[in-house]
Amino acid sequence: MSGADQRLPPGFEALDPYVDTWALETADQRAKQRLVTPEAERTAFYEAAKPLLTKALGFLDGKPIGQFDEREARLMDLMLSLAHVSLAVEVQRANEAKHAQGAKHITIVRSAAAAP
Amino acid sequence: MNVQVPQFLRSDATDMAGLGTSPIPAEPYYRPEFFELEREAIFRRTWLQIGHVSELPRPGTFIVRPVEVANASVLLTRGRDGAIRAFHNVCTHRGTQLVSEAEGARTSFTCPYHAWTFGNDGELRAAPDAERFYVDTADCALKKIAVDVCAGLIFINLAPSPKESLREFLGEMAEQLEALPVAKATTFSEYVYDIDANWKLTYDNFQENYHLRVVHPDTSGAGIGPDNPFGYPLSFGFFGPHRSQTIWLNPAATVEPIQGMAYGKLAEFAVGEGLGGLPANPAYLALFPNFFMLGSIGTPFSHTVMPISATRSRGVIRFYWVGDDDSASKRFAREYSTAAGVDIHSEDRAIIEAGQQGLNSGALKHIHFQEQEVLLRHFFQTVMDHVDAYRATLSDPS
Ligand code: FES
Ligand SMILES: [Fe+2]
Repeated sequence: MSGADQRLPPGFEALDPYVDTWALETADQRAKQRLVTPEAERTAFYEAAKPLLTKALGFLDGKPIGQFDEREARLMDLMLSLAHVSLAVEVQRANEAKHAQGAKHITIVRSAAAAP
Repeated sequence: MNVQVPQFLRSDATDMAGLGTSPIPAEPYYRPEFFELEREAIFRRTWLQIGHVSELPRPGTFIVRPVEVANASVLLTRGRDGAIRAFHNVCTHRGTQLVSEAEGARTSFTCPYHAWTFGNDGELRAAPDAERFYVDTADCALKKIAVDVCAGLIFINLAPSPKESLREFLGEMAEQLEALPVAKATTFSEYVYDIDANWKLTYDNFQENYHLRVVHPDTSGAGIGPDNPFGYPLSFGFFGPHRSQTIWLNPAATVEPIQGMAYGKLAEFAVGEGLGGLPANPAYLALFPNFFMLGSIGTPFSHTVMPISATRSRGVIRFYWVGDDDSASKRFAREYSTAAGVDIHSEDRAIIEAGQQGLNSGALKHIHFQEQEVLLRHFFQTVMDHVDAYRATLSDPS
């Protein structure tokens, strides 16, 4: 992949396969994606993203959040999706399918990030 | 690692606050007739939490909020003088709903029917062909609703003249609220749900920990532990119609990797946000009738249960934050905390609906509250006191 095609900042290429599914703009989209994604896919994303979480946040913390370019914003959204997915993988585990039934009735209407 | 865990001692709540131990009648949790009484006895005359000052950040901003139980839509504005005002969102010409947006920035509101225009102070500024009316424009201001603020929380009272001020109503709770993150908050995350359940049944779920290990087998986290398997609170408090509990937390709880990272960051940020002094065992403050708040660093949330009918309600959960998400780490940690809240509350929502279905059958004449469900008993008694007092005014001819 050439530099111009890169969808994520350098050093985070390993997460490119997850961009289409997980680089979502709103907290509710991220929460709902977690609920509809099959376990194997969810786990694959968690396994790929978790080792890069500290590095990603450290990198992104170097810049004011309002000044992220498109690649940085995408990396941020991926990490935010990881927050949701980690709850399925780390906390709910085998109960995630049951949990997803109830969780679809809850709508995140505002995240602090989207505050005016 | 071996962690010394202080032995949990159950707070003896037997017959606490003189509430007795009787079974509780089931009908108030599903009968439409009882809901009609609550509508008048409670919701049309009690201070209700409706918003937060951060929703009206500048003069000229406004929000519109439904209060279904009173068939009302409330327009809240911040005037040029900085004051927050509340009005019925009802044009005084022929009653049309004046503002259709949920929020915005505008200092005047024009009715979509015949274009009467009101200022954000409620005054009628202009009415087309006004001279043909038989009423003075000065007498056509929007209908005011009593409004006041405590700890950043905006409360309204739909009574034409409330029998007590917000401060009088809150009593000692005011000071406790002022110590929580919500009082300093400048922003919040929010999630909502609709539920086929009575508002009290819904609210009750969040007043007891007896259900934690059953309903939240994976998400109870530090809420339960070997010497406190039910996660009972350290103490209870009763303040007029309001109540509180001090939440017990298991200091030796297992923490998952990303979970630990997120809450660790929130604890760090809290110090920078001036919240470092919050107690390790968070206060849970329940304001009559339908609001409660948890004052913890990682999960500083409020929960309001808005009644819609005898068997339908709407929940609003807000995580209050001090300062914007000014870094990726802060945004991540706040999103984690909010998402973890959704996990827990979605489990609650499902089991509450199951409870409502059972009650709707009318099979039970009574339900039962155990010693550690004393907050539910206090809440029920407070509802009954209000309903009885209202009934007395109906039968009293004077
Ligand atoms: S009803 Fe509003 S202007 Fe006529
Ligand atoms: Fe619960």
